[in-house]
Amino acid sequence: MSTDLRPVPEQAPEDAYDWRRMHPVTPALRGWKVFAAFVAAIGFQAADNLRDVGEWLGPGRAWLVLVGVLVLVALVGFVYSALAWRVTRFAVTDEAVHLRQGLLFRQQRQARLDRLQAVDVVQPLLARLLGLAQLNLEVAGGTGSAVQLAFLREPDAEQLRAQILALSAGLRPGAPAGADGAGAPVDGAPAGVALADGTAPDATSADATPDGSATPAAGGAPLATRAPAAQPFAAAPEQQVYDVPMPRLVRSILRSTAPWVFVAAVVAAVVAVVVTGDVGPLFVVVPGALGVGGYVWGRLNVAATFRAATSPDGIRLRHGLTETRTQTVPPGRVQAVRLTQGPLWRRPDWWRVEMNVAGYGAEAANESVLHPVATRQEAAVALWLVLPDLGTDDPLGALDAAYDGLDDAGGFTPAPRRARWLDPLGWRRHGVLVTRTALIMRSGRWWRTVVVVPHERTQSLAVTQGPVQRRLGVATFVAHSTPGPVSPQVAHLDGAVAGALLGEQAERARQARAVAGPELWMRAAEAPHAPASMGVGDAAVADLPQPPDAPGDAR
Amino acid sequence: MTTQTPAPVPAPAAGPFDPADVTWTPVSTRLATVRLLMLGLWGGGLVVVLALGAALIGVGWVWVFPAVVAVLVLWPALLVRRQVRALGYAERADDLLIRRGILFRQLVVVPYGRMQYVDVSAGPVQRRFGIATVQLHTAAPGTDATIPGLPPQEAARLRDRLASRGEARLAGL
Repeated sequence: MSTDLRPVPEQAPEDAYDWRRMHPVTPALRGWKVFAAFVAAIGFQAADNLRDVGEWLGPGRAWLVLVGVLVLVALVGFVYSALAWRVTRFAVTDEAVHLRQGLLFRQQRQARLDRLQAVDVVQPLLARLLGLAQLNLEVAGGTGSAVQLAFLREPDAEQLRAQILALSAGLRPGAPAGADGAGAPVDGAPAGVALADGTAPDATSADATPDGSATPAAGGAPLATRAPAAQPFAAAPEQQVYDVPMPRLVRSILRSTAPWVFVAAVVAAVVAVVVTGDVGPLFVVVPGALGVGGYVWGRLNVAATFRAATSPDGIRLRHGLTETRTQTVPPGRVQAVRLTQGPLWRRPDWWRVEMNVAGYGAEAANESVLHPVATRQEAAVALWLVLPDLGTDDPLGALDAAYDGLDDAGGFTPAPRRARWLDPLGWRRHGVLVTRTALIMRSGRWWRTVVVVPHERTQSLAVTQGPVQRRLGVATFVAHSTPGPVSPQVAHLDGAVAGALLGEQAERARQARAVAGPELWMRAAEAPHAPASMGVGDAAVADLPQPPDAPGDAR
Repeated sequence: MTTQTPAPVPAPAAGPFDPADVTWTPVSTRLATVRLLMLGLWGGGLVVVLALGAALIGVGWVWVFPAVVAVLVLWPALLVRRQVRALGYAERADDLLIRRGILFRQLVVVPYGRMQYVDVSAGPVQRRFGIATVQLHTAAPGTDATIPGLPPQEAARLRDRLASRGEARLAGL
């Protein structure tokens, strides 16, 4: 299976697309899943029936029946998966990724590359052992809208990812995706706009002549000539920015509520058993304990080996213990960021950083984590990853005020004093700060929360006011964002302030959208904020306040 | 200095729900009729059923149920007209404003460039009274931009206008 991609022009007839199959081991992995699901379902629900059947058949033969049923299920599962594999194909054109699948109900799904929100390479444990990986292409279409290419050989999946990202960035084969940082592709970028005319600027590619004739009539002929370009897209280089040490992760989970609920429940159950001499309470506790234990394990499993890196393709997050996941979120795809800190995390000053990415949606809580447990500096770096220019002259100062500031510290507009009737504990924390590029909202006295929304990512805005708020002359300002963990709003602002903020923010968002980069981010007139000068660790933090030529391009 | 917080503009006494230089378009008062009718059909029906039940059972305190439901139906019925009067929308150059509510007030600003699609819907009763509902959808599920009670021509005009303006100002996510 050759790994290089021949992006057919979208206008070519569908049969001319370079249709490919998944890896032949896929049905085995898929069939295994069907089998496991069946066994689990039967094991939990029909165990009694099975026992009855076994008793009815008499000793000895019961096992035969059981094994027979299992073999039958496995056979059906694998045969179905094999047939499904036979009809599953994908193709990549210069504008979209197509996926054909479905045995009984045929489906052809098309993910437009300029609408691509994130690309994930997922490796469940079994697939990882076999050196396979699944490629998820997330587009903003709600739950289940992703195009999943499962399974591919791991190197193939990674190369395909590089190719798809380069294509969706607006590059053409031949222009290496950032062989020396972001510089190379950007040079060719302005001319790349002329690409629609069929005059591709890729003089570097050996077969420039057929490349230029990207017209509907091109058909299959140019493909063959383009094929010799062995590796049309190099993977973009990446630079690690932070990782999460395992001890800190474990301690952070110990400092959350779930393990203590678990311990308390177990202790209570043991005490109850000892006192009453009845094992009844155990049956109540065990399922709950399993649930909490699963939750704790899940958090550990997902966040273990968490690493974040930058590349010209966007930010790259790697994490997972048994199931590893490598996420790539291209520049400008993060809609909002939230930093939270519970009361137990206050002493070590840890923050959890989450983001809204349109492709992941509301259910993908694991994919929406930007940093599972960050120090104050790392949280700032994580924020910088997705929003290089915070739009103030003193970003760290503004963030400090957002982290734990009260009232009007750091230039925040706080809730008025009369809001204490509505929120007696946290009213001094409600506040909003408008910068050149983003809206920063803070709230929460015990569960501290900071939300950052770039102006150009605001979807719509609202002001709401309940009867008590009206009496006190305060109102809640809401910025609507795409589905995800972050829902930006700031409660109990002064009514006039909220009204003015609504008007001004609508205007700011309009202006920001007008100058915002195109969807094909490599074709932006300016270089993406690639951290070429950025080191790792403390040096990065020191660099943070000075994003390159920040004031000029922000307006 | 743009990094500073928004200066409290000398807003009119009406508060945050009446931005300056915005003329609100009210929705059709037929919406009130439709809502009253629906409320009467469902609520009144429920009251009648409960009252019949209470009469059949013949125990005094059972009458509490129809009484409570009757109050729950009558209370909003008294407010419907005011609520409909409070509904309004305004088309600005770059965004659509929708205002609603008396007790719980809300003002939504939807930029045309953020619209993903527009729904126009009308149920049988709405059609009978000649009104329709226009709903704007953005990529954010939280956007609650529904304009009920528009005459069909106005709904169609608004739909086309929103669609064309959205196309002109189309932005990525």
